[in-house]
Amino acid sequence: MINAVLVFNNNGQPRLTKFYTQLDTAVQQRLISEIFTLVSARPSSSCNFLPLPPLLAPSNPQPESNDAPSLVTYRHYATLYFIVISTSTESPLALLDLIHVFVESLDYLFEDVCELDLIFNFETLHAVLGEMIVGGVVVETGREKVVEGVRAQGKVAKRPVNSSRPGIGAGMWAGR
Amino acid sequence: MFEKDVLQLIRGLRAHKGEEREYIQSSLRECKKEIKSNDMDQKATALLKLVYLEMFGHDMGWASFNVLEVMSSQKYPHKRVGYLAAVQSFRPDTEVLMLAENLLKKDLTSPDKNLIHLPLNAIPHLINPSMANSLLADLLPRLSHSHPAVRKKTIVTLYRLAVVYPETLRPAWPKIKERLLDEDEDPSVTAAIVNVVCELGWRRPQDFLPLAPHLFELLTQGGNNWMAIKIIKLFSQLAPLEPRLVRKLLPPLTSIIKTTPAMSLLYECINGIIQGGIMEVAAGTTEGDEVARLCVSKLRAMLVVQGDPNLRYVALLAFGKITASHADLVADHQDVILECIDDADISIRTRALDLVVNMVNSNNLQLVVERLLKQLKTAGKQSPVNEPENSRTFHEGVIPMADDDDEGTATPVKNKDQKSNQPPPLPEDYRQSVIERILEMCSKENYVNMDDFEWYITVLVELVKQCPSSSPSGTFGSAAWKKSMADAIGDELRNVAVRVKGVRPEAAAAAQSLLLLDNREEHFAQATENAQNVLSAAAFIAGEYAAVLPDAGAVMASLVHTTTTQLPTHALASYIQAIPKVFAALTSNEQVPWTDSRKSEVVLLIARITHFLEPLNLHPSLEIQERAVEYLDLMRLASEAVSAQQVDSENGGYAEPPLLLTQAIPSLFTGMDLNPVAPDAVRKVAAPESLDLNAPINSSLEMILQQAEYDTEYDSGEDEVRRFYYEKPSMVKTSYVKPASELLEDRDSGSASYQDTDRDSLLDPEALERKRAERRERYRDDPFYIDSERNSGTSTPMHNILRSANGSDLDVDAIPVMELKLDSGSGDSSRAPKPKAHKKPKRHFEITSDETIDGGEPTSSSAPISYSSSPSGRGGITQRGKKSLLEFNSAGLSALSLEDGPSAGSSSRGNAGSKLDFERRIQEEEELAKAMKEVERLRLEMQRQAERVEEPTEEGTVVKRKGRKKVRSGIAADEGQSLGGDDGIKKKKKKKKVKESEAPAAEASAKGEQEQEKEEAPVKPKKKKKRQVTFDE
Repeated sequence: MINAVLVFNNNGQPRLTKFYTQLDTAVQQRLISEIFTLVSARPSSSCNFLPLPPLLAPSNPQPESNDAPSLVTYRHYATLYFIVISTSTESPLALLDLIHVFVESLDYLFEDVCELDLIFNFETLHAVLGEMIVGGVVVETGREKVVEGVRAQGKVAKRPVNSSRPGIGAGMWAGR
Repeated sequence: MFEKDVLQLIRGLRAHKGEEREYIQSSLRECKKEIKSNDMDQKATALLKLVYLEMFGHDMGWASFNVLEVMSSQKYPHKRVGYLAAVQSFRPDTEVLMLAENLLKKDLTSPDKNLIHLPLNAIPHLINPSMANSLLADLLPRLSHSHPAVRKKTIVTLYRLAVVYPETLRPAWPKIKERLLDEDEDPSVTAAIVNVVCELGWRRPQDFLPLAPHLFELLTQGGNNWMAIKIIKLFSQLAPLEPRLVRKLLPPLTSIIKTTPAMSLLYECINGIIQGGIMEVAAGTTEGDEVARLCVSKLRAMLVVQGDPNLRYVALLAFGKITASHADLVADHQDVILECIDDADISIRTRALDLVVNMVNSNNLQLVVERLLKQLKTAGKQSPVNEPENSRTFHEGVIPMADDDDEGTATPVKNKDQKSNQPPPLPEDYRQSVIERILEMCSKENYVNMDDFEWYITVLVELVKQCPSSSPSGTFGSAAWKKSMADAIGDELRNVAVRVKGVRPEAAAAAQSLLLLDNREEHFAQATENAQNVLSAAAFIAGEYAAVLPDAGAVMASLVHTTTTQLPTHALASYIQAIPKVFAALTSNEQVPWTDSRKSEVVLLIARITHFLEPLNLHPSLEIQERAVEYLDLMRLASEAVSAQQVDSENGGYAEPPLLLTQAIPSLFTGMDLNPVAPDAVRKVAAPESLDLNAPINSSLEMILQQAEYDTEYDSGEDEVRRFYYEKPSMVKTSYVKPASELLEDRDSGSASYQDTDRDSLLDPEALERKRAERRERYRDDPFYIDSERNSGTSTPMHNILRSANGSDLDVDAIPVMELKLDSGSGDSSRAPKPKAHKKPKRHFEITSDETIDGGEPTSSSAPISYSSSPSGRGGITQRGKKSLLEFNSAGLSALSLEDGPSAGSSSRGNAGSKLDFERRIQEEEELAKAMKEVERLRLEMQRQAERVEEPTEEGTVVKRKGRKKVRSGIAADEGQSLGGDDGIKKKKKKKKVKESEAPAAEASAKGEQEQEKEEAPVKPKKKKKRQVTFDE
């Protein structure tokens, strides 16, 4: 099963955190920064699988249990890292595809999604994830159905007012 | 009226660059205020802001009650926020969870399908066993909800329920199975079920065997790759249980491998074949061979494919799994696998490294190790300067900063960003892992793969140079690895020297090259003092096999060099131990004529050793101190013997070298060979029958300790005798390590408790000093009392006695200083021939295995180091049973058998004990309905009877309840009136209804407890009812 889905940007600032097992906020933050440390050091040419961060590394070298997280898969899109922590019962390559479906769905909902969309619409981000993964189990892998499910829950807000396109947006933030 | 909404919060955050902390704190304060407001809109907004800040690590546990408030709002947008907050912030110890239960139940049964999604998504995050028990009844009907999205989420939620409360599956599994077998079910629901079954499958595969035919059908129908992957994963769990399945699976899996365009499916097919043991079962048949070849060739193709490191990674993973059974198959592809060892990507390297360890055999061992060594040599070490950058992000939490690069954040996410292609320098823990693996590969199964130990020794020496500089904290290998890599290399060197007699000269030469000061630059240039731990083992080898050292004199010069004292403690201890051994090797030869020059040479050697050892008398480490004191005295004895011995007279008369040198000292170190001992051999030593471990060694110990408690003054004569025997001489006391020595001293001098050291240290230092002075006074004339402050450390009473007996003093300083050229002066015969002489291509090595008792199974663990002489770092590996973060405990789930679940249905109904609360309730409801019908029938009957003015005869006798009795009496009273009876019966019915409505309430209160005893209470009355009804008939 999937233990956690994380999204953070190139600076390690979280944009989405979803843990399917309850974890203290402080521990969550440590885990995020550990993973960020690992992931940010990797060149784009390397593969999309991370060694387990120290927090998750099994303390004793036992035969791996299917209950313990053993796989950290990530994908890097523009300014964002999408990370999935899962147990060995998930297929590594399928998880990569899953992340892609997630991003595609977001892209479809926001039309050319960018980090700003996700910052301002993090509720929608959660909703999209909720349509795909429930309780750590994948429930939907088809983009159309995910989008349909999210739209059924309510209107998806477009970009926040006044910040329609990158160029304009930059000018806008500069004044504040 | 100036509350911010969440967008404003985010904007504000972005605007307050550099002072986010203050901004967040002020926002949190605002939120705290706003969340208490009565306006639900404001509450929800504040909550959403808190959820946003929670993402950055600002705990919102304090707001859990407010979360609940927002969750229970009537408006959907509020609810949405509330549920999101609950999912993100509730923890197992959140108390308000109990209050959420009814809300969840209510929302689950809502007619609005959007509303249902909220609890369905949230329950997996919140669930605990007691809640699971009560929510189950409301969740199950959702399985047949008209909307497929609700159905699939319900299925997954039920799975999470089952994880915490396994009994869930009893009622839920038949329904889930029904959904799965339903041909008309929505495909995404089927896929969700397959996902859940796959998760359940590895825990109790045997329960899912009956589903195999249907799953097989789903697999062959194809269409959904996601589902196919999961089915294959499930089958790999089932296959070991049912050999017939393997034959069924082979053709479709082979055809998928050959035809599928989806790489993930292809890979999972291969993976499934490997993990399901299909290769083993099918081995021998033509089909099996074909499939094995096919898999391996596909994996090879994945390794060599350009531009997709992910495929390389997973292919290595799969290869790693095959090695267990088909190491030879994998070794055929070592060329491509070895390429991966040099991959730019550290993840791939690590996988490859894991793989080669299991892949090596005697043919490719050298090839693999050379390759790894080359990698270590060529890759630059990561300088510690680079690390702070990483550790900064590690230690400080990530704080939300105002993004300065809006262009960056606004870049469409879909564009892959380009980064430098440069491989990172080898991280320390990877470097360490490589060394670890090299050692593991080479020493595996008592060096079964090792052909050439000379080569191995050169590898080990080379590895010393490549030692990582920092202490390990790594995660690549086993996390339990506590000792430094240098220790491990040293252990290997020693292992080889001890076990393989044939290469002892080479091992000794290697030890010499490590020890020699001239080489120190070369060996330890890059590495820090960490690498010097290897010197401990080197000194041991040099000492133990001093006879075969190429240049014992040079080794001795390095051993007693002044820089030696700066070595780590256990290395120094090992050095001191080696000194007399090398000394013996240098001086014990009887054949060398005892000439003047020989004599002065030996005197000089002794002087140098004495000079080296003397300061160590006061070393803080007890072991070093003890060894130094011992050997110092030995050297004194030797020097006296040497100076007393007559040399050759000028006219050629032959003089014997002193016996002490030729016989006594060597005999201290020779005799039995030191052999490796199996770790558990000691345990097998039978205790002598006469030994009673329970008998006190000193029967009056108790008394003595008690006495010591009271006698803090030491002036009684009897006490002095006791102290003489029981107290350690205060030699351990040194001037510059006061705390430790004081502690020891006081503890020995009669403190009753060995735990309570604090008490000692709390003693007044003045009093201590006074006591010490007293003691010095008392023992002034005691020849056995060695007092450091009397300088007795450098001249023991024993020495005094000898000195006075011999008459002549040794004045070290009086010896003229001359250059110590040990090799030129002494005869060549004292040296072993240079071992480099023979260069045979292959040698047969005899490898000593561990010695053990009983001829019991010699434990062939990879590196048994039970004879270690080094005092530190040998602590047992502590296995912490701590479970990993994010891991959840599903032990209960695997203990639950589904066997009777699907089939039982009504048959197990009689067994009330095994019934679920939920099922019981349904049963009770049925019974109630039945009873109601009976009552109705009864009423009609009675009515008819009343109409006929016939008195009911038996009915009343069995009615035990009070209410009933009343009614009955009513009937009795009315019996004479033809129409009044109707009324009374109606009343009775009403009473019953009241009771019915009470029953569920009682149930609800008892529900949480689950205890059988409690559950039986509401069941009983109904049973009675039933009895009554049947009686009536």
